[in-house]
Amino acid sequence: MKRIGAVWCAVLLLYLASGLISPGMFQISQVINILQVAAFLGVIATGQTLALLVGGIDLSVAGVVTMANIVSTSVMAGDNRAVLSGIAICLVLAAGVGLINGLMVTVIRVTPLVATLGMNSILFGLALVYTRGAPHGGISPNFAVFGQGHLMGLPVSTLCWLVIALIIAWVSRRTVFGRQLYAVGANPLAARLIGIPVRKILISAYVLSSVMAVLGGLLLTSYIGSPSLGIGDQFLLTSIAATVVGGTALTGGMGSILGTIGGTVFITELNSFTNIIRVSTGTQFVLQGAVIALSVVLYRLLGLTQKQQLS
Amino acid sequence: MAKQNSSPNYTRREMIKMSAAALGLATFSRVRPAFAEDVISQAKIVSSGEMVNPAKYKKNGTFRIGFSNGFSGNTWRTEMLYAAKKEASQHKDLADFIIVDGQGDITKQVNDIENLVSQNVDAILCIPNSGSAVAPVLRDATKQGILTLPFNLPVDGEAWTAYTGTDPQKKGFQLGQWLRGALGDSGKIVALGGLPGNSYTAAAWKGAQKAMEGGKIQILAFRDAYWEEDRAKVVMADLIAAYPEIDGVWCDGSQVAAGAMKALIDAKRPLVPVTGDDYNGLLKLYDQQKANYPKFQIGLLSEPTWESVVALRTAIKLFHGEEVPKRQTIEPQLITSENYKNYLHSDLPDGVFVDTNLSNDELKSLFRS
Repeated sequence: MKRIGAVWCAVLLLYLASGLISPGMFQISQVINILQVAAFLGVIATGQTLALLVGGIDLSVAGVVTMANIVSTSVMAGDNRAVLSGIAICLVLAAGVGLINGLMVTVIRVTPLVATLGMNSILFGLALVYTRGAPHGGISPNFAVFGQGHLMGLPVSTLCWLVIALIIAWVSRRTVFGRQLYAVGANPLAARLIGIPVRKILISAYVLSSVMAVLGGLLLTSYIGSPSLGIGDQFLLTSIAATVVGGTALTGGMGSILGTIGGTVFITELNSFTNIIRVSTGTQFVLQGAVIALSVVLYRLLGLTQKQQLS
Repeated sequence: MAKQNSSPNYTRREMIKMSAAALGLATFSRVRPAFAEDVISQAKIVSSGEMVNPAKYKKNGTFRIGFSNGFSGNTWRTEMLYAAKKEASQHKDLADFIIVDGQGDITKQVNDIENLVSQNVDAILCIPNSGSAVAPVLRDATKQGILTLPFNLPVDGEAWTAYTGTDPQKKGFQLGQWLRGALGDSGKIVALGGLPGNSYTAAAWKGAQKAMEGGKIQILAFRDAYWEEDRAKVVMADLIAAYPEIDGVWCDGSQVAAGAMKALIDAKRPLVPVTGDDYNGLLKLYDQQKANYPKFQIGLLSEPTWESVVALRTAIKLFHGEEVPKRQTIEPQLITSENYKNYLHSDLPDGVFVDTNLSNDELKSLFRS
């Protein structure tokens, strides 16, 4: 819980600091804007958290987001009658990708990093083959409500993100499946010895990660409305950064979805702040990198303090 | 150093019709009518005074050409590649046209070019990922008697045979001048570029800043937006929150311009004058929204996808023993609110770059629309 508290403290501190430097950050419209943009990364990072919790990593999220964008715009092609089929096809494809990732890791025993990075490359290649480098189509007008609409003053994309993240948070904390995710990530051998179906849990985590990436990709597609082959690239590392800043350990077994929500807001807030202040692009990168590294160092210190208290 | 702008300026259509001596496109009889008819661009190509002597390159039989494309995966590259393949298929003496993809990797592209050299190609076309990284390998190839023809993005030095492309700094300057004029020499603007550290954006933005010097234009911010609509929309949404008044947007590409305009629409702010290139998505957006926003204007300079055709023809001319210019600088004309309908393809996807030598049917087939 300390880790969750820490990330939300960091979100608040960054917000206050950035607002003092650039008062534009204090506007309600900017808060809503940050939450709207955070939704895409937030949903993808929710899936990434599950992959990290079981001691893996999912580098195919970038390719899955691009796949969601290319397939949904191609299937919908501006037709309102094709919204459901567009979403359904993307979800089935995502489940397939997650299943292959899971089988690669559990049955063929390929390192998660290599398996999912390879899958990312395959998905980008397939997107190129499918579109022949010339993507076509566009979203259905009704589908735009998910990325561009507002409900009670809040962006629909944000509401979607929070609903998805809170359901996954509940599942991970309050169900047997959730407990098994943590157990497998913390010590797979011990988990197997106490009768947890380790393979099934690992495969489920990768399937859920891919499904979350597709949902994030669909929200982003709804926000922008058109296909683009490079649309997913930015999420390869930012999804991991948001998760790690949110307190999830790269070694598995430790972390939370609530922390990842905080990590996502933090990363988006940081990007937004560095967009607003008058610094060069180079300084922007240095600032972002330094703040992320600093937050991870703080977690380590927090972890050490906890260990000292226990011993 | 090649002398620039030493020959008179003609429109490209004029150049083709006039047998295009300065263009380096040989005699009128060699110019395919389809090319002249299909291209809607009025772009000019200015040739350098320095010419390349064809004596050592002339071939009597067939020849092989390699093309090292820095990366693929955006629609500009797709159209450019299609145009190159189509052109290559029309030359019977071109025995082999080998295309290799650098996948955006500087090292891989150097390796690709070395492989082309070892395959004994007679000419290498190249769009570099890095103008400095490929310079040594192109220099070595040139020394071995291979024709080296970088295009679209420049390569450091002069150790290559001939270059074709636009002048980004000049384009940036012209776009800056247009924006300054559209704003009546007064107002607050934001600028959105491409990839961080990219030489094209850096040069274009340098030119734009020069164009705005001395006036009452206030530059609020410059941000990279990765030439992606979604990234531009996110960045612009932040800038909108920070700056209550934005009177104009300078962009070096129209995907970015379209993303910026969509952010303004979402924020319920009026659309403003914006610059960019020949991306169909912005033309369609302008066509849909111009009636709703009286201040919305566009000032665009194309980056022709037929640059590959000019580069390929330059190589073939040298093999045929014809002299060509060392540099061919494309100077596209402005696409504005007045003439945009000549370029707009309402029936084609946003991703189409409209300054192309491909026919409407070819574009439809390519984009499956």
